[in-house]
Amino acid sequence: MSNNIVSKFLNWMKSAAGFSITATIVIAVLASIASGPYLLVNTIVTGGMLALVATGLTLMLGVLNIAMFAHGEFFMIGSLTAYYVFTPISNYIGENPESFIAVIGPLIAMAGAAIVGAISGIVAEKLVFGPLRKRSTDNWVMNSFLLTVGLSMLLINLHQLIFGADFKGIVGYWTGMPVSIADVFISRDRAMAFVIAVIVVSLFWFFMTYTRTGMAIRAVSQDITGAQIVGIDIEKIVLLTISLACALSAVAGGSLLFMYPSYPTVGLEPLYLAWFVVILSGLGNILGAVAGAFMVALLKVITVEYIGAGWDFVVPSALIMLILIFKPSGIFGSDVRGALDK
Amino acid sequence: MIVLETSNLTKKFGGLTAVNDVSMTLNQGDVMGLIGPNGAGKTTFINAISGLNPPTSGSVKMFGDDTTRLTPEKMCRLGLSRTFQIPSPFPKMTAIETVMTATIFGNESGKVKDPVDHSREMLDFVEFPMAETVVAEQLNTVQLKRLDLARALASNPRLLFMDELASGLSEGELNDIMRIINKISKKGISILMIEHIMQLIMAVCNRLLCIQFGTKIAEGLTQEVANDPKVTKAYLG
Ligand SMILES: Nc1ncnc2c1ncn2[C@@H]1O[C@H](COP(=O)(O)OP(=O)(O)OP(=O)(O)O)[C@@H](O)[C@H]1O
Ligand SMILES: [Mg+2]
Repeated sequence: MSNNIVSKFLNWMKSAAGFSITATIVIAVLASIASGPYLLVNTIVTGGMLALVATGLTLMLGVLNIAMFAHGEFFMIGSLTAYYVFTPISNYIGENPESFIAVIGPLIAMAGAAIVGAISGIVAEKLVFGPLRKRSTDNWVMNSFLLTVGLSMLLINLHQLIFGADFKGIVGYWTGMPVSIADVFISRDRAMAFVIAVIVVSLFWFFMTYTRTGMAIRAVSQDITGAQIVGIDIEKIVLLTISLACALSAVAGGSLLFMYPSYPTVGLEPLYLAWFVVILSGLGNILGAVAGAFMVALLKVITVEYIGAGWDFVVPSALIMLILIFKPSGIFGSDVRGALDK
Repeated sequence: MIVLETSNLTKKFGGLTAVNDVSMTLNQGDVMGLIGPNGAGKTTFINAISGLNPPTSGSVKMFGDDTTRLTPEKMCRLGLSRTFQIPSPFPKMTAIETVMTATIFGNESGKVKDPVDHSREMLDFVEFPMAETVVAEQLNTVQLKRLDLARALASNPRLLFMDELASGLSEGELNDIMRIINKISKKGISILMIEHIMQLIMAVCNRLLCIQFGTKIAEGLTQEVANDPKVTKAYLG
């Protein structure tokens, strides 16, 4: 019995997924021992948020077959919303520091980001993707991709035009002493950002795996014809998927506002990193995207630490190219397009 | 009672007329065979009815209502189900989960008390040869067609289209399919089935519809159509 488990574990270790997850953990631990635990903390916070953006991207690609290059702008919309929601709340907290608003205020800002993100997603579907889908689905992947690039530029410039190009940031969400875990001090905001990412990703996974609507989304992603003939309303699922994907990205933007102030192109970095994740982990599953998010986060953090701040896109992309040469479907990938499953 | 009626149904792909002006009727309780040479337009015909590939012109009436150009999900809710010539499974879902999609989304909500139980019954009904936990991508074509059938039945249809359900079956499996088709018909489900295997058609169909180059060349009782010189000529080329 125990032998069985051990041999199963060894087999898993030999698989691409097992090997890369193990390697990531080992490298993260070693680097933290060498240079300090803040490396681990940075990796975990960045990875958690990246997981949100990357699962949204996987969803867009898997269910709607859209190679989304405007996903970073929903991150931006989230951070902008959180900024405008939190600024008055923050003033109120300044005057009434003991109020319970000090605790739930930041959550209100993040919920606002999610809601506005979801609504913007619906607007994008109604104004941009829906009309294209109705007109013609020939060459869909290329055409929709070009549309997302256009949408990205449009949103960046709209931000600049309406809100200006300055940095809109906040001092912090939760004030007070940093949390200390085994002699490592982590600011409350960072700890909360990670906790929120974990909660949101877990909820999302639960939703996809166990709810009826999640089942419908998976069915659409695996075979759209099959989904249609069993009575699933495709238009409804499409709308829901887009709003969900955009909300995930916007939540990430909102909860990272304390680190990344909102400005027109704030979404580009998370977008590129999330694409690294999707390419790296393949279109297999949500958990693959989550694992991939932490790998990319670690790569970025380690590159900045040991090679230099300017290299944080060069090294990950070079490594990803290498991986793709040997395993084109990604580490966790399957052959099925975007079969979002477990 | 007339279950399905098409009037002058036509489907063009660019310059190609795949279905040309086909009018037919299917009555309650019919097991109608849709026959014709390869490329005759049989699959295109049922796709045009079921909404997967809407017709260029003509109309469809199902259960007395005009259903021309309704989407497949609406047709499903109205009581139409189908299987595919090339099965259309959800590769990452288990057999039971696959059937559950139809149980859950193909029925009025609340109508099926226990979706898992109902889906299991469907797998039993079609004599699905594998465990219910097997993942669809691990099945071969014959097994996938069975799963396709279980999924089609799970939405409790009143009308069922089957597209070459029996192709590639062994002699023994053919007998199983015959028995299953008879069971489906006994449940009161009307059937329109595309089929090439004459042995099966003669055994289960009470009426036949034959099309060639997209045009209807015969419709009527099985024996009459099978002996129609136009039909034999179409098959012999
Ligand atoms: N989506 C499509 N676009 C263009 N032409 C098509 C399309 N689908 C079918 N056709 C053409 O329409 C004609 C009828 O095809 P269809 O698949 O309906 O034949 P069939 O009777 O089902 O044949 P088989 O017995 O081989 O399945 C064929 O000439 C086919 O090439
Ligand atoms: Mg066919």
